Amino acid sequence: MTGAKWLPTLMLITVFQVISAGQVVFTENGISQRSAAVFGTYIAIEWVYAIVSSIIRKKASPALEFVAFFLTGIGLVIVASVNENLLVTQFVAFVLGFVCFLFLLWLISSMDRAMFMRTPMAIAAIGLLIITLLLAKNINGAYNWISIGSFSFQPSELVKIAFIFVGAAALEKLQSTRSLTKYIVFAVMCIALLFLMRDLGTALIFFFTFLILAFMRSGDIRTLILVCVAAAMGAALIVLVKSDYVIRRFSIYRHIWENMDGSGYQQTRVLIYSVSGGLFGVGIGNGKLKNIFAATEDLVFGVLCEEWGIIMGIIVILCFAFIATHSIKCAVGCRYAFYTIAAVAAGGLLLFQASLNVFGVTDLLPMTGVTLPFISRGGSSAISCWALIAFIKAADNRTWLGSRYHTEVAE
Amino acid sequence: MNKISKRSKILYALVFAFVFGVCFLSVTLISNAETWALKRVNQHIYDKGQLISAGTIYDRNGVVLAQTVDGKRIFNENKTIRCATLHTVGDLSGFIATGAHTAFKSQLTGYSLINGVYNIERDGEDKNLHLTIDANLCADAYNALGKNNGTIGVYNYKTGEILCMVSKPTFDINNKPSDIDTDSTGKYNGIYLNRFLSGVFTPGSTFKIVTAACAIENITDIDSRTFTCTGSYKTSTGVVRCNGVHGTLNFEKALNRSCNSAFAQMAEELGNEKLTATAEELGFNKRIQVNGINVTKSYFDLTGAVSVDRGWAGIGQYKTLANPCHMVTLMGAIASNGTAPAPHILETNSSLFSLGSSTLRYLDMTTAIKLSDMLRSNVKNYYGDHKFPNLEMCGKTGTAEVAGKEPHTWFVGFSKRPDTPIAIVVLLENSGGTGIGNAVPIANKVMQSAAGLA
Repeated sequence: MTGAKWLPTLMLITVFQVISAGQVVFTENGISQRSAAVFGTYIAIEWVYAIVSSIIRKKASPALEFVAFFLTGIGLVIVASVNENLLVTQFVAFVLGFVCFLFLLWLISSMDRAMFMRTPMAIAAIGLLIITLLLAKNINGAYNWISIGSFSFQPSELVKIAFIFVGAAALEKLQSTRSLTKYIVFAVMCIALLFLMRDLGTALIFFFTFLILAFMRSGDIRTLILVCVAAAMGAALIVLVKSDYVIRRFSIYRHIWENMDGSGYQQTRVLIYSVSGGLFGVGIGNGKLKNIFAATEDLVFGVLCEEWGIIMGIIVILCFAFIATHSIKCAVGCRYAFYTIAAVAAGGLLLFQASLNVFGVTDLLPMTGVTLPFISRGGSSAISCWALIAFIKAADNRTWLGSRYHTEVAE
Repeated sequence: MNKISKRSKILYALVFAFVFGVCFLSVTLISNAETWALKRVNQHIYDKGQLISAGTIYDRNGVVLAQTVDGKRIFNENKTIRCATLHTVGDLSGFIATGAHTAFKSQLTGYSLINGVYNIERDGEDKNLHLTIDANLCADAYNALGKNNGTIGVYNYKTGEILCMVSKPTFDINNKPSDIDTDSTGKYNGIYLNRFLSGVFTPGSTFKIVTAACAIENITDIDSRTFTCTGSYKTSTGVVRCNGVHGTLNFEKALNRSCNSAFAQMAEELGNEKLTATAEELGFNKRIQVNGINVTKSYFDLTGAVSVDRGWAGIGQYKTLANPCHMVTLMGAIASNGTAPAPHILETNSSLFSLGSSTLRYLDMTTAIKLSDMLRSNVKNYYGDHKFPNLEMCGKTGTAEVAGKEPHTWFVGFSKRPDTPIAIVVLLENSGGTGIGNAVPIANKVMQSAAGLA
């Protein structure tokens, strides 16, 4: 039986998680029962999922989910090591994300259901963004959070799911130019609303995802270059008009050391503390970067390098390259446009966002303030990341189960 | 596989770019690791801008100059030693850029790319620094300086070890004057500067050694020449004054008496090009390093100089500036046939550094021997061996005129005795008086202590 191939991998991941979680469970003040419970449950979920999925889909490889579990686990340990009070919230967000992942897998396993959902999804997405723009308060220069009581979330994260869902579904039907036009209108509205929220990073991610979707549909690079040029000119125009905020953000690029205690504060600290950890890190919870604003969110890559070591930092970011290559493999093997397009878009989005984050905080790219998928603290982000890999998983499932649905979705 | 599936492969372009970015990031982190980790804002290493923990700094005899005890940095218990070694040991806030606490902080803190700051709060012999200086000799030099500002450097020209470097003004690191950064009277001017490594001063007559070297190499009958001194030397563009009326002198006597007229005349004959060439051979305008610490370059430039400028330059005035560390290595080279070992302050077996060339080449052997004899003649026939008992001292004094202030006084020299291969530089900043009157007695005091150690 080939089903047990995943077993050694998961055991290795579990050993790694037990050791790293141990650092936050066993503290100087004794054993933290709360952390122990969270990580115990987390590892249990991992194993139950792996066993159940190996029984249901014998051939499909669980590598993608394992990587997601591996990354999420690191994120949880970092949250616990910086502020244990936030651990439960983050864990609940993961559970929600995991449920979303399973739900979305079920939802799109039927093309009919997927096609039926695309218009409501599009309307909900636009509606959510408009509401955000109306209600949101300014947090760190952007208007992209909604707070209801003590509960707050970032709608643009959830809209990512709809963006790919609607995009893949709209482009599924080859002939319909009307659906294509509708989709372009939808995409432009999303990106424009994000611009208005001053959520530049997310707008960039959406734009990039849009490019992938457009290429998957048209296969025409020249058109995409045209789109990029147009977008660049549009962006330049916006920068000219709304100069203060955007220019301030970009003028520091490659000049962080001249402004160490000003606008280059976060990036310089990330670099200083990343190299402070050396190759193997100063140990979980022993870092100094964690005291700096947004350490577990935007700057989490620095915390990872400082406390877990540069080698671990590199391994973690290479996981995103794995997710992208895996999504290509799933997409290539799958004969259905919807799943292919959605998988490539989701894989590309995650890798692009990881690039913006990692290269942004290390000053290789301008800093745009996006989070590191799976690892950064943030409920909305955790939910959207898990939901996004459902698109990749769905393509994989299609490859193995394709024949069963073949008649159902034939064009 | 259909068309759309094939298009998935476009994503490989992004993966490729990403992996390239990760490689670039790794290289950036590795190549900048030390610079970034040792930034003063790094709270692993600094607390409120002060080094938290570092290895012990020893002198050549194992005397502790600075160490960390219970998380606090403790300096030598003797106030004179603290003041005398301030610029060598350095402060904890990095004001003294060439001090060991700043210049060797990666070794002192134990930072390495592999282990990061892991070793910071751990003790270990590999974090300790063993300096070549002798704390007691530094204290003697500090006392010998008395009220003068300036610097004294002592260097073993066989091994390259710097045995002593003292710079004044200085302060007691345990009682840093509170007005040090707000003072406007100028009494703390350049207090953070190690004058031995980072200062440059008008060399005055000590530069006649360079002019003499140029004459030996370029004027074949220099030994049979005579010069006439009438108290000044007239050039077509102006007059170079002398310190006396020396009458008729030969080359050796001209250096003994430090006759400006004779040396201005030599400079005139040699010309800008030859003088510049010799000055640069002898280390002017060239960078030397002390265990990776850049020493400020001595400066010599005759671009556009007319005859009177050249005359003044030949006797160490004009725009010429000399660095004391460079001058003492030049003495070492004259003492040892033209080459001198690169100066260092870290004992070689304790040092990870071997930066810069290991030998300084200044002169060819015949010129060096000739100069050495002439410098010996200075002490023997003019200053008097009783000023440097039992040392077989060779050397040259200098009194350098400084616009608007009292002159600097210098002594540069070395002991010729094989059992005391020691060279010395004494510079008294704006001390007034003469090199013979002020610098020579101080040089002797320090040389006597140093000879006792050798």
